[in-house]
Amino acid sequence: MKFLILLTALLTFSAEAKIDQTYFCQDKLGAIPIRQGGRVKPLYVHARELMKYLTGKRSYENLSAVQTYCLLSLQAMGLESPIKLEARVDHVDAQKFFNLPEGKKTIPLASLTGEISRLQREVRKSKDQDSLKKAFQTLLNQAAIYQEITTGNNWLFPALTGDRVDWIPITAFLSEGKIREAKKVSSTPFLKVIFDEVKRFEDQKTTEHLLEYRFMKMRLPIVSMVVTLLALAALTLFKKFKWALGLSFLTIILQLALITFRVLISGRAPITNMYETVLFSGFGALFLSLVVGHFKKEKVYVYMGLMYNACTLMMMNFATGMLSDNISPLVPVLRDNFWLSTHVTTIILSYGALALSWILANTVLIKRKLGGLTQSDEVYYADHIYTTLKWGTIMLGAGIILGGVWADYSWGRFWGWDPKETWSLIAFVIYMAILHGRYTSWIPNKRFIPLVAGAFMSIMMAWFGVNYILASGLHSYGFSEGGAVFLGSFFLVQTVIIVLTSKKSETVMG
Amino acid sequence: MNFNFTKIERTLGGLKFAVIILTLFALGMIVGTFFESYYGTDFANRTVYKTWFFMLIQAGMGISIVFAVFVRLPPKKRLYGFYTIHAGLVTIGAGSFMTYYAGVDGSLLLPPNTPNREVILSDDVLKIRFPDEGRVVSFKLPYTGFATRVGETYQGIELGRYLPFADKNFKWIKEKRSYSNIDTRHSSKYSVANEMVAQEFTLSLHPESVDYESTLTMGPLTVHYLPESLAPCFGRNNPSKLILWDRTKSECFTPEERDISIQKAESGNRFLAFNHGDKVMAFFPDVSPWPFNEQKQVERGANLRIFSKTLFEEKPNLFLFGKTSAYYIADEEKWTSHELTKGKPLQLPWMGFDLVLEEHSDKDVPANIPEGVLPIQKNNEMIKGNTRSLELIVQGNSYWVSNDTPVQLLINGKRVVFSLQKESLTLPFEFVLTQFKMDKDPGTNRPASYESFVRLFTEDGPSNHHIYMNNPLKHSGFTFYQASYSQDRQGNYSSTLSVNVDPGRPFKYAGSLMLVLGSMWHYWLNFRKKKKKKKVTPLMAALQEEDLA
Repeated sequence: MKFLILLTALLTFSAEAKIDQTYFCQDKLGAIPIRQGGRVKPLYVHARELMKYLTGKRSYENLSAVQTYCLLSLQAMGLESPIKLEARVDHVDAQKFFNLPEGKKTIPLASLTGEISRLQREVRKSKDQDSLKKAFQTLLNQAAIYQEITTGNNWLFPALTGDRVDWIPITAFLSEGKIREAKKVSSTPFLKVIFDEVKRFEDQKTTEHLLEYRFMKMRLPIVSMVVTLLALAALTLFKKFKWALGLSFLTIILQLALITFRVLISGRAPITNMYETVLFSGFGALFLSLVVGHFKKEKVYVYMGLMYNACTLMMMNFATGMLSDNISPLVPVLRDNFWLSTHVTTIILSYGALALSWILANTVLIKRKLGGLTQSDEVYYADHIYTTLKWGTIMLGAGIILGGVWADYSWGRFWGWDPKETWSLIAFVIYMAILHGRYTSWIPNKRFIPLVAGAFMSIMMAWFGVNYILASGLHSYGFSEGGAVFLGSFFLVQTVIIVLTSKKSETVMG
Repeated sequence: MNFNFTKIERTLGGLKFAVIILTLFALGMIVGTFFESYYGTDFANRTVYKTWFFMLIQAGMGISIVFAVFVRLPPKKRLYGFYTIHAGLVTIGAGSFMTYYAGVDGSLLLPPNTPNREVILSDDVLKIRFPDEGRVVSFKLPYTGFATRVGETYQGIELGRYLPFADKNFKWIKEKRSYSNIDTRHSSKYSVANEMVAQEFTLSLHPESVDYESTLTMGPLTVHYLPESLAPCFGRNNPSKLILWDRTKSECFTPEERDISIQKAESGNRFLAFNHGDKVMAFFPDVSPWPFNEQKQVERGANLRIFSKTLFEEKPNLFLFGKTSAYYIADEEKWTSHELTKGKPLQLPWMGFDLVLEEHSDKDVPANIPEGVLPIQKNNEMIKGNTRSLELIVQGNSYWVSNDTPVQLLINGKRVVFSLQKESLTLPFEFVLTQFKMDKDPGTNRPASYESFVRLFTEDGPSNHHIYMNNPLKHSGFTFYQASYSQDRQGNYSSTLSVNVDPGRPFKYAGSLMLVLGSMWHYWLNFRKKKKKKKVTPLMAALQEEDLA
């Protein structure tokens, strides 16, 4: 296939007049740098981010994101292409607004740009910040970006004049003179002009975008997920502990690589958006469970770590609507690597440790309902839940204090009843209540285990709920917003598990 | 009696009390975060976090922590960690109380090159200014989330209802003073709309109207609201395009109607002089609407005025007289006047706009009257309940003073100005913002960092400082942090510093340290104990642990 594209591209330029679909838009363009969203990144990353934002997918028919992006940009030079990108219209009222036929939930971006003024009027008209207005604003943004791409203004290319780099639209860079000149020596003059300039840029300025390009190509998140799942299978299905342990170490290495790359690319601690916190908590929890499991000589920690890590990796790979892996510049107040890497890391590690207790508590609840658990098993597991709980709660407490110190250092106040800090304190208070109750035998194992399983909901609220439910305002989220739905389902499933399993244990008791 | 005390001590230091207090605390916070999400930060503070019952819960936690230690005295070695943790918590609590009681938390706005030393605090106050006496009195308003009657009186001024969150609604209110019949004081509410936009506006000639004026600009269009008695002359198309208005008779006439000749002065300006009653009136209509006296000085406030329509022909001007409108049609080079009927649109010659008279009153005063609402916050922005208002009752009349509209009254012949503002604190030194620097993320408009260069003027002379994120300035007990910035229309940046004095800070740090070290100590003691009994089965260990507690 690639060969075919290459061939037709060559043909196009030798025959000149003959129009082919892909012109010079090849996948290798993905490695060239582009400056967008406040930083320099490979075109591969940018094209994928935009395609995802515009259409929800990272490719178009047989074309990759880079090819699609390139072809759309070429429309500005009058080179037509039969690409018809469609933006998703999830909001029911928005579907009505566009008179979409029954069952159709997309609108061509090309026609969306014609609706910009109508949409703007609609947005201006509605006074409330409701879900429809939000949907319209998203569509407006998508239309604006699509327009920017197809007018050639989105693809900013590094043009060097002496020592200075100007990021100019590619269409402005590819002047007729340059192409004519290149045509004398190359059969692919466009690519030659582009890559010659990129080479100059890389020699004189930076090759950081190449690191990111190679990193993206490695697909570490999906590889890590496969390895973790294999480790989990080795542990639970095939009962091969050594295999499981080996694969766990491999996961740790892969995730460490993933984190390191992100640190190198962004130049900051890898815990600044939802995606990174999920990644780091999964990694931290697995690491912690391997360490604790080693000293305690208990396999159950490996199980907890792998199980939770698998959950986080699946979220990272599949819940891409909710967790975006884009690397974007930080808001100024967070730009302090020391505090980021102490305060946030502690908090996220505590979430990871508490997640271990949550995993084991739920496993015990389900096992107990299925009837594979003796009384001493329950005590044994409760003891380990208690261990992870202790670790998690201490780290959470330390993280909250560090956050207070950071806030005092940056704003002059320890505590401001900000929802994020308040919810982490709520979670801490809930875990403290459980720990105290258990410590003084007020909470027996029978109640302790479902309480631990349920208490993790407060962590989920502090972690995701504050961003996905509280921040947007409760009445403003639509069903297209994955975060709120995810969280709602989580709470529902967890509650159902607790209710179902508690019923069972009561009948056993009776 | 002694027995009872022990029992109370045991209850307060007991686990049940601790868990109940912790649960109440968590519940309060949960409610608080949801309130904050719906109604905004300020409302959540006023109704949850900074209320007496939430303070009571926190005090309850303090009691629980202290008594938990009491009932576990005399000291036992295995509880050393436990004592440290609980002492740390009490220390943090004490530090927080000191901050609450004696701390300062405010903000300092620094416009470019303008010295400032006023720190804005969070308390709402009513300031009553007596400009003639140079006296200012200030009243602290209740810290509440809902409408509250203040009920205080000061020199015959009664403070009525206080609305911490209010929206202003349009209302016609009865005039408070008495007027003679010739006093023009009508007001009207209109709307203009075309396919794209619609706007309502209110214009008033009433002397008591505070919220509405008699002119308005809407883009290139200027709207003038004039007395009704001027309306008949506007459509007359007299050649001189001059109109005279007699305030005492509430009537208008044109020079042509009275056979007043219009001459040219040496300067080239038009000039007219005529007998009016027993006086000779002289006007330079292209220069001033007021007559000139013999010393060639303008006589402001005269009862006879002149109006030159030529001045309003170049740009779009709309004249409204209550139920009449007039404007110049440039294409036809003539003035036209139309009657307005309530609710019936009149087409204007600009951009397809339709004008509608919505409401009209000869005597009532149009006003925006605040009404208490539940605030709503969306995307960190207050979209409802933006105004704070206080009702003032003076000599039986009620007035509303809001944070955006001060009120000025004459009380027993004395001028009194009321304003609703935040309490402020005057620093013993002064700041000037000499430079504000903002870096942006490359290729975008998003700020990457912002920094203030300030000059500090103290008794010891000026000094220069650089304040930016995570690099505050400490000076004589105050700490100044870079908080935010704003930009005016000319593109000049103003910087906002947050100002902070925190006497509880050392206690909070010490307490935090005790907490962390205490936890380590506690688990280390436990760990050692467990190690000693390593041979025991997990079941036994768990049972023992429970026994120990």
